[in-house]
Amino acid sequence: MSADADSLPRVTPAAADMVTPRPFLREHWPWFVAILIAIVMPWFFFNWSTGRHSGFVLTMLSEIGLMTIFALSFNMQMGHTGLLSFGHAILFGLGGYCTAHALNAIKDGGVWLPTELVPLVGGVGGLFFGILFGYLATKQRATAFAMITMGMGELVAAAALMFMGFFGGEGGVSTNRVTGVSLLGASYSSSWQVYYLIVVWTVICVVAMRLQTMTPLGRMANACRDNFERAQFVGYDPRMVRFYQFVLSGFFAGIAGGLYAILYEIVTFDTVAAPKSATALLATYIGGAGGFFGPILGTILVVLLQSGVSLLSNAWLLYVGVLFIIMVMFAPGGIVGLIAAHAPIARIGRLRELVVPYIRVLIPGLMAVLGFIALVELASFTTIGASQGKKLALGGMAIDTATAMPWIVAAAALILGGFWLRREAAAFRRRWDALIDEAKAQGAAA
Amino acid sequence: MEVFLVSLLNGLVYGMLLFMLASGLTLIFSMMGVLNFAHASAYMLGAYFAFTISLYVGFWPALILAPLVCGLIGAAIEMYGLRRVHKNGHIAELLFTFGLALVIEKCVQMTWGLVAVPYRVPAGLDFPLFSVYGTNFHAYRAFMLLISALMFVSIWLALTRTRVGLIIQASLTHPEMVGALGHNVPRVFTLVFAGGTALAGLAGVIGGNYQVTEPSMAFAMGPIVFVVVVFGGLGSLTGCFIASLLMGLIQTFAIVLDYSLADLLKQFGITITSSTPFAEVLNVPIPRIGALLPYILLVLILLVKPRGLMGTRDT
Amino acid sequence: MSDVAISLTSVRKSFGATEIIRGVDLDIPRGQRHAIIGPNGAGKTTLFNLISGRFPVTSGSIALNGTPIDGLAPHEINRRGLSRSFQITSIFPRMTVFENIRCGLLWARGYKYSFWRLLGRQKSLNAESERLLERLNLGARRNLPAGLLSYAEQRALEVGITIAGGADVVLLDEPTAGMSHSETDYAVSLIRSVTEGKTLLMVEHDMSVIFGLADVITVLVYGEVIASDVPSKIRANKAVQEAYLGTEAA
Repeated sequence: MSADADSLPRVTPAAADMVTPRPFLREHWPWFVAILIAIVMPWFFFNWSTGRHSGFVLTMLSEIGLMTIFALSFNMQMGHTGLLSFGHAILFGLGGYCTAHALNAIKDGGVWLPTELVPLVGGVGGLFFGILFGYLATKQRATAFAMITMGMGELVAAAALMFMGFFGGEGGVSTNRVTGVSLLGASYSSSWQVYYLIVVWTVICVVAMRLQTMTPLGRMANACRDNFERAQFVGYDPRMVRFYQFVLSGFFAGIAGGLYAILYEIVTFDTVAAPKSATALLATYIGGAGGFFGPILGTILVVLLQSGVSLLSNAWLLYVGVLFIIMVMFAPGGIVGLIAAHAPIARIGRLRELVVPYIRVLIPGLMAVLGFIALVELASFTTIGASQGKKLALGGMAIDTATAMPWIVAAAALILGGFWLRREAAAFRRRWDALIDEAKAQGAAA
Repeated sequence: MEVFLVSLLNGLVYGMLLFMLASGLTLIFSMMGVLNFAHASAYMLGAYFAFTISLYVGFWPALILAPLVCGLIGAAIEMYGLRRVHKNGHIAELLFTFGLALVIEKCVQMTWGLVAVPYRVPAGLDFPLFSVYGTNFHAYRAFMLLISALMFVSIWLALTRTRVGLIIQASLTHPEMVGALGHNVPRVFTLVFAGGTALAGLAGVIGGNYQVTEPSMAFAMGPIVFVVVVFGGLGSLTGCFIASLLMGLIQTFAIVLDYSLADLLKQFGITITSSTPFAEVLNVPIPRIGALLPYILLVLILLVKPRGLMGTRDT
Repeated sequence: MSDVAISLTSVRKSFGATEIIRGVDLDIPRGQRHAIIGPNGAGKTTLFNLISGRFPVTSGSIALNGTPIDGLAPHEINRRGLSRSFQITSIFPRMTVFENIRCGLLWARGYKYSFWRLLGRQKSLNAESERLLERLNLGARRNLPAGLLSYAEQRALEVGITIAGGADVVLLDEPTAGMSHSETDYAVSLIRSVTEGKTLLMVEHDMSVIFGLADVITVLVYGEVIASDVPSKIRANKAVQEAYLGTEAA
C-alpha cells in the first residue's frame, strides 16, 4: 500500500510520551470516565421495586466486557501487525475449555485457585495454544497466513465436535463458577458479582494491551506491518515479531474465553467456530482497526445489535453485514476513522459549519434506512417469520405482509430517500472538501 | 474392488464439480488478487435460481438462465462494489466479499426460507445409467461429468485460442504489466469476475440437486473451494484441476474407508486401549475426519510450499 | 577483525535462464568510500540485494568482515553490522519521524522483542533518537507521520534509519535519486558526515556526487566489473567511456 496522505491516520499516539508529563488524572481522564460508566451502568437498569438488577442487561454488559478483550486481542494481530486471522476464536474457545475444566477441578477439591484468578487459566491456555498454532501460522504472512488460520479454525471447530475427552463433544463442557474459593469471600452466584469481576479483568487487560503497544515489540509489530523489509534492516526478524504478537494475543483471547466460561458456565464448540472469529473481525473493522480504541466501540455496537436487535428481528446479521459492507466501501477506518477525519476541521474551529449539512444528509438518510429496514422486516416475516408463526406488528398495529401497501410504502421510502440522499451527499461532500482544503491551507492538516 | 471403482467414479464427479467452482475462483484470485468469499454464494444462488426458474419453465432453460443471472450479478458487484474498494487494498476487498457473503446468505434465507428447498434432479435424467458391480451409476452424475468436461474444454479453448483469452492468461501472472501494455484491464477484470461468478452459478445449477439446496450451503462449500484454490496454486488452472480431483477423490474415499489409525497400528501389533493417551484421536474412524482432511492438507501445503502445487506467483 | 569489509568472490546470479551477475570479484577495504556505477540494467541493485541477503547467490561467496554471509537472512546480516537503504524510499510511513529513528535504534540498543518495557521511559534511547534527529535536520518534523514528509526529507530520514543502529558497513542505493541541486548538496554533506569512519558502498548515477564522495569507483556493465579504480583514472578509462557513450564517441 502506498503512503497516500489521505489514507494515513492522523493520530500520533506514542509521540505524546515525550512531551512533559501532565498530571496523571488530566492526561488520562477518558479512562476514568469510562471505568466510572462501567461501574455505574447496571444501576440505570435496576428494578427498584424488586431490588434486583436486570439480569438481561447485566449479561449483555458482561458480554460486552469480555468480547472487548477478545476484539482487542484480535486487533493485536490485524490492526497492529497486519495479520488477518480467520481462526482467532480457537484461542478464545480453547482458553474457555481450559477454564471450564479448571473450575470443575477446583470444585472437586483437587486444585486451589480463587475464582478471581481463574481467568488466568484461560490466559495460560490461550498462550499455550497460541505458541502451538502461532509457530506454524506465523511462518507465513498476509494472505497465506489468513488461509492457514482459516484451515486451523475449521480443524479445531471440527475437532471440538468429535472428541469427547477435552471438548465434551456436541454438549460441550459444563461447569459451575460457584466454587467457594475466593479471595474476596464472594460466591459469584449473582450476576452483578460476575459483572464486576469481568469489569476488573477488562480494565486490566485493556490497560495491559494499550501499554503493550508502546513497547519495543508493539512498535516493531507496526513496523513489520508497514514495511517488513525495512524492519529486517533495523535488525528485526519479522517472523519472530509476528510470532510473539500472535502468542500474546492468544494470552488475552484466552482470558476472554475464561471469563466466558465463568459467565455462561458452559463452553461449547461454537466458541471455537468461524462465526465467533467473524464477530471479532466485524467488531474490530466497524469500530476501526487503525488505532487502539476502535475495537471497543465496534464491540459495543455489535453486541448491542446481536443482543438487542436479535430479539426484535431475525435479520440482525443482515444489518451487521450491510453495515460492514458500507464501512468497507466508504469508511475503511471504521467509526474511529470517521471521527478522526473531523480533526482538521475541528482544529480550525469550523466544525459548526457542518451541522446543517449533516442534518440535510441525515433526514433522507434516515428515510432510506427506515425504508430498507421495513423492506427487510417485511421479507423476513413473510418467509422466516411465517414459518415461526410470528406476525409483524408496529407499535401494536398488526401489519399484513401479504398486502401490497406496506411493501410499496417501504420501497418508496427506500428509493425516494435514496435519490434525495445522493443529492444531499454530493452537496455535503463539496462542503467537506472545501473545509478540508481550508484546513490544509492553514496548516491544520497536511 | 467394486467399492474402489464406485468411489473412483463418485470422486471424479465431485472433483469435477469442485473444479467448476474452483476454476472461477482461481481466475479471479490470480488476476485480481481478490479472495472472493462470495464465490460460493454464487454457487448457492445458481442452485436457488435454477430451482425457481425450473418451477416455471423447467430444468433445461434454467441451465442457461440461472448462470446468466449470476454472471450479471457478478458484473454488477465488480463494477459498483469491488472497483470502489480496490483502492483500499487486498484486505479491504477480501472483507467486502466476506460481508457480501453474509448478506447474500441472509437474503436467500429471507426469500426462500430457512429450510432446504426441494430442488430435484430433472425427470429426464433421473435413471440409472449403468451398473458397476451391482451399484447403479446414476445418469445425472454422467450428465454432471459431461457438463463439467464441456466447460473445462471451452474455458481452455477460450483462454488459449482467443485474443481476450491471451490477455487473461497474461493477467493471471502479470496483471500490472498487462495494464501497462495498454489493455483495458478494468473491462477484462469485470469480464473475468462475471465469468467466474457465472461458472460458479452453473456449478450450483447442476450441483444443487446432487447435494442439498439450503442457505448454509455457501458457507459449507466455501472453505473447501479455498483449499482447492490455494492447494492448486495461484496462476495455474492445471494445478487447480489436479487439486480439485485430488480433493474430490480424497473426500469420497475417506467416507468408504471405515478404518482408524488404531486399526492401522494393530497391523503393526500395537493395540490401543481406552487408557492409552490420545486413544480417542487414534480410534476415530477415517470417515469422521474426512471433513478435516482438506484443511490438514491446506495447512501442510501452506507451510511447505506456500505457492501451492503448481503456483507461478506468490499470494 | 579483517581488513576487508566486504569481499565478493566469483559471485554469479541468475534469475531463471537470465544471468544478471556474471562473476564479480570485489574487495572493499574497511573505511573506504566505494561507489558502483554503470548503465541501467547492469545489475547494481541486484548486487546490493545479494550482499544484503535479499536474494541468494547462484554461485560464489560473499564475506562480511571476513565471515561468509551468503545464505543468511537479511536481519542476520544486519545484526552483523551491515545496513542498507533502498532505491525506492523505504521507511515506516505511518509512524512519526521520531519513531522511525527510534525503531532504527531498538535492536542495536538491546531491546529485542521486549513487550514489557515502555518506550516512553527509556531516557537514553529517546535522547539518542533526538540527537540523531537533530543531526538529520528533521527536528522540526518530529511528530509528523513520516509518509507526509517531502521526498528529500524522506530520503534523509532513510539515511538516518540506516545508520542509526551503528552498522559499520553502509550500503546506500541511489541516495540522491530524484533530488534537486540544493537537496543533493545537502544529502552529500549529510552522507559524508554520518559515514565518517565507516565503510560506505553506494550506487549512484549523479557523477558530481560520486566524484565528490567516492575514494574508489567500480564500473559494472552487464553483470561484470570492467574497471575498479580511483575516480580520476576511471574518468580517463577507455572501456568505461565506451560503455557509457558507445564506441563512436569514445
